[in-house]
Amino acid sequence: MSVSMPSLEREQIRAHFWRDLMVLTNRSIQVTLRVPWAIIPNLAISLFFLFVYQGGLSGIAKMPGFSGTHYLNFILPVAVVSGAVGGAGSAGQALIRDLDNRYFTKLRITPVSRTALVLAPMIAGMLQLVVQTALIPVVALLMGLKTPTGAAGLLVIILLAAGWGLAFAGYAVATALRSGNGQAAQAATFIFFPLLFLSDTFVPLNLIGAKWMRIAAHINPTTYVFDAMRSVLVRGWQGRPLLWGALAIVILCAVTLSFAVYTATKTLRRS
Amino acid sequence: MHNDSPFWCVQGIIYGFLGPNGAGKSTLIQILTTLMLPTEGHVHVAGYDVVHHPNQVRSNIGVALQDTGVDPMLTGRELLQIQGRLFNLSRPEAKSRATSLLSQFGLEEAADKRIRTYSGGMRRRLDLALALVHQPPILFLDEPTTGLAPVNRTALWKLLQAVQKQTGVTVFLTTQYLEEADALCDNIGIIHQGQMIAEDSPQTLKRRLERDVIELEPAHTSDLNPLLQRIGSTYEAAQDRNVIRVFTPHGASAIGQVLADVSAIGVELAGLKVAPPTIDMCFLS
Repeated sequence: MSVSMPSLEREQIRAHFWRDLMVLTNRSIQVTLRVPWAIIPNLAISLFFLFVYQGGLSGIAKMPGFSGTHYLNFILPVAVVSGAVGGAGSAGQALIRDLDNRYFTKLRITPVSRTALVLAPMIAGMLQLVVQTALIPVVALLMGLKTPTGAAGLLVIILLAAGWGLAFAGYAVATALRSGNGQAAQAATFIFFPLLFLSDTFVPLNLIGAKWMRIAAHINPTTYVFDAMRSVLVRGWQGRPLLWGALAIVILCAVTLSFAVYTATKTLRRS
Repeated sequence: MHNDSPFWCVQGIIYGFLGPNGAGKSTLIQILTTLMLPTEGHVHVAGYDVVHHPNQVRSNIGVALQDTGVDPMLTGRELLQIQGRLFNLSRPEAKSRATSLLSQFGLEEAADKRIRTYSGGMRRRLDLALALVHQPPILFLDEPTTGLAPVNRTALWKLLQAVQKQTGVTVFLTTQYLEEADALCDNIGIIHQGQMIAEDSPQTLKRRLERDVIELEPAHTSDLNPLLQRIGSTYEAAQDRNVIRVFTPHGASAIGQVLADVSAIGVELAGLKVAPPTIDMCFLS
């Protein structure tokens, strides 16, 4: 079929990536701020982890493998990372809302940068998780947390959580785009559970009994993020664990963001 | 759509695209608005290829689809401003354009309320305003009044006609309401099974039938069959629910004979109408 319409002289509008990204990210943040209660369940779960594990398992910190570490310092990264991943999931949920109410289609008919269209909910989700994860160490401080690296150490933890969250935001957005369905996107975030629990989540690696679980923990990138966080919470400034943690985040971000961009390109190519 | 001959839409008119369900109307709109890639052939909108220059096409078109694509968490004003920014307007321009559109579309009072509180008619008007933010030369509307109450539908027609007259925008719409196309469109294309079967002004399409319709409504439904048999022996006639339609080249001349036939079989009429054909009849033919 061939369809022609009168040629109209009009200046071509170039895609302004940064402007589009800013406008769309602002809009995502605006919407998030209008449903503040949406962050409560995720924050509550993270704090629940902190209270329950600290209350129920703190006694095991007396075992020799812990080398005298306070269990609150050991378990805090688990609460922070779970909060970060939950916050990242909201990026996928925001996209699903846009798909459901067809606003996403409306955006697709604008000359907006396709990359900005996908990155904006991820960035908004990441900012949301930064706020959430910042609240968790505050609660830990109220519970008596003392760290050798002080406020700077807590800032590093928040940055690591933000990086980890960005990786999961990429994954959440990609699954949302791929499935176009809120429940499917939510279900896909269950990958987080093996990642969180097949690691040195509750005890140091040398205290994990099952060999297969030790192997899984060695392969699991979450282990390196936990180690990086624990190094600043327990031992002070150490380059090696921080480097490994950052590397794990960079690799995971590269994988999930590539997946997101690939999925977006495929889905938005009218695909 | 399997039609090798190009079709043109004259600038500054309202062009209606009609066809039964499954004829491909929505698919065509999706291709023309860059939401879908054509499987074959070349499609140009505003002089740009929809496959190779989708952003130029998007910059030159406004689109309001069947489902209003609005974010219910934002206000009408915010959404219009965002849309303006995405279409390259500066902040002050987007702000001023939003205010002007809100006024034009009768949404000033609701401007700062969240869209989730808007009625269906208000959402439609906002959707139309969104499509016009960047003052596009071409406007695509996919079944713009589907689901609206008759009073809202008529109001939207008036609004659309006013906007078209004021801006000179070329409007390309699909509709399932034939009366809508009849009332709004300067030209109509009729698609059936992937083929463009007719394209002309509503008046010419009607003239093509070159006949009038006499509608006879018997007082008793039991008279429908005998009446159809009697009239059908002389004229082309068809039953539609409780009405017999008689198709004749000139209604005024035939009415005497038709009434004589009605009288001959003793049928009492509850209603009688002689009318020119509607677009519905163009379709049916």
